[in-house]
Amino acid sequence: MSAPVKLMIVDDEPHLRSSLTFWFKEEGYDVLSAGSGREALATLLREAPQILLVDIKMPGMDGLEVLRKVRETAPETTVIIMTAYASVETAIQALKDGAYDYIVKPFDPEAISRLVKKAAERYTLLSENRELKARLEAAEPALVTAGGGPMAKVLELVDQVAPTDTSVLVTGESGTGKELVARLIHARSPRRFGPLSVVNCGALSEGVLESELFGHEKGAFTGAVGRRRGKVELAHEGTLFLDEIGDVPPKVQVDLLRVLQEKQVVRVGGNQTIPVDFRLVTATHRDLEDEVAAGRFRQDFFFRIHVFAIELPSLRDRPADIPVLAQHFLARFASAMNRRIGGFSPGALAAMADYPWPGNVRELQNAIERAVVLCKGDTIEAAHFPFTTNGHAAAATSLTLASAEEAHIRKVLATMSFNVAQAARALEIDRVTLYNKMRKYGIDRP
Amino acid sequence: MKVRLLHTRDVSPGHVRSAFSGLAPPLVPGEALPFRASLSSAYDRSRAQYDAFSVLEAVPEPEAGWLNLLLVEADLFVPALTYVFGLSHVGGRRGVLSLARLKPPEESAVSEELLLRRLAIEVAHELGHAAGLVHCAVGDCAMHRSLWPESIDLKNPAYCLSCRALFPEG
Repeated sequence: MSAPVKLMIVDDEPHLRSSLTFWFKEEGYDVLSAGSGREALATLLREAPQILLVDIKMPGMDGLEVLRKVRETAPETTVIIMTAYASVETAIQALKDGAYDYIVKPFDPEAISRLVKKAAERYTLLSENRELKARLEAAEPALVTAGGGPMAKVLELVDQVAPTDTSVLVTGESGTGKELVARLIHARSPRRFGPLSVVNCGALSEGVLESELFGHEKGAFTGAVGRRRGKVELAHEGTLFLDEIGDVPPKVQVDLLRVLQEKQVVRVGGNQTIPVDFRLVTATHRDLEDEVAAGRFRQDFFFRIHVFAIELPSLRDRPADIPVLAQHFLARFASAMNRRIGGFSPGALAAMADYPWPGNVRELQNAIERAVVLCKGDTIEAAHFPFTTNGHAAAATSLTLASAEEAHIRKVLATMSFNVAQAARALEIDRVTLYNKMRKYGIDRP
Repeated sequence: MKVRLLHTRDVSPGHVRSAFSGLAPPLVPGEALPFRASLSSAYDRSRAQYDAFSVLEAVPEPEAGWLNLLLVEADLFVPALTYVFGLSHVGGRRGVLSLARLKPPEESAVSEELLLRRLAIEVAHELGHAAGLVHCAVGDCAMHRSLWPESIDLKNPAYCLSCRALFPEG
């Protein structure tokens, strides 16, 4: 059962406070009260009530000032203004300042009861919404992290850039979750209520890509049987995500550059200019600076899209996340296939830590799915994976003794779930030495 | 527990008789007496209503084993609310109940029957509070909270099993 909604009555009249406190306690609310604005703000910080009923006329800090301070310090709190003086101007001011509603004293029993119930339902819906969103984000596999490490830094960058309108270029190897990051930027931006228009530029020929991006008029080319709006136009007031931007042909780069500069688009075969307002997010697995140097990518277009860059780490660059991700996928596939598989054997964990994962998170996901299909017991073994660890590991890592030592330490730590004492025993070295080596190789505990 | 039903002189004898005879068990009719004290000091000119807290203070303290309920025609209020049907100190063994808001809008034989039913329910409700009961979640229990007159009609003039079990002895 969920906790009762916490309500605070803020009024300088003790009689009114006590009668409303009694009234709402009986309705099942957790009720607090404060006799002044200052006391209310102190209680707000300590107790975090979700709904405030605030009297507008109080000595010292009045209700409107309390409302403004609450908007600054706890913007998610619902504030209902109470007053004995029915004044339209004050009501409008309170609503402008962010009050949820306004009620005139004395209250009709049904009206006050209904108003607070409505506010409580709104609070419940909002908190459910936040919880679902958090769960959804946690369910985005490529973004799952053991805490700290390079992926956490990526999420920090996303949080910083998302609320702005800055163009973002997301780079990283295939399977690292570039599209998920683009979706996350959109979801956390002020444009989240607008559309997210997605085009995979790598999968389309030049002509089809032009039509896909800019749309076309009827008869613009053979097969254009009707007018079609392009993805740029459809991104109006939202976000345009161009995946594999490094694969866009030079002619389309010029057209896109014009759209970005002029904020308007002309459909293929048309002459009408259509104003567009969107935020651009692009992604590529290519090194665009190399592409510019090689003359395959226009420098002016590169500068236009490369305002804020987010580089996604490959899976081998975040080894601490591998066991966490693997467990996440295991839970998902075991549930989907109705299998009781609890975890991974030390050998399986070591094999995963050893493997370079060229296909990144997507490859790990596929490997776990396959392993769940093959597994007959309650533990995934190394033999259930489709790769042979030795060959890949040797190919992916350098031949120096230090890199071999680092890889071995990472493998043993992953096997021991980052229990340093156990790992030190397995490595037959003391803990201090292991800590020193971890510091040397930049190995952080998850 | 025995009930002493006090009433101001404007309350009709028929309503007093009905309320007295229709008391819900475990309440037992004790006596019905006219209330002689003046309520003029409880009158609020600006609201043209009577302050329920002041009226309640005028109800005499009952002896052990008794509950005192004052029936009035006057419209009652508390500072925070536009009106209340009645008011009691929870466990204070005294209460006040107004008929003003219980009356259906039109007068007829049917509406009189409805008024008597509402009266029986709200008498049980206020006496329940006076005996120490709080509001009940059971929708048709007399102790369920009513926010407007028509919602009283959804209740019964009796206590649910839980409320009855909570009633103090004697």
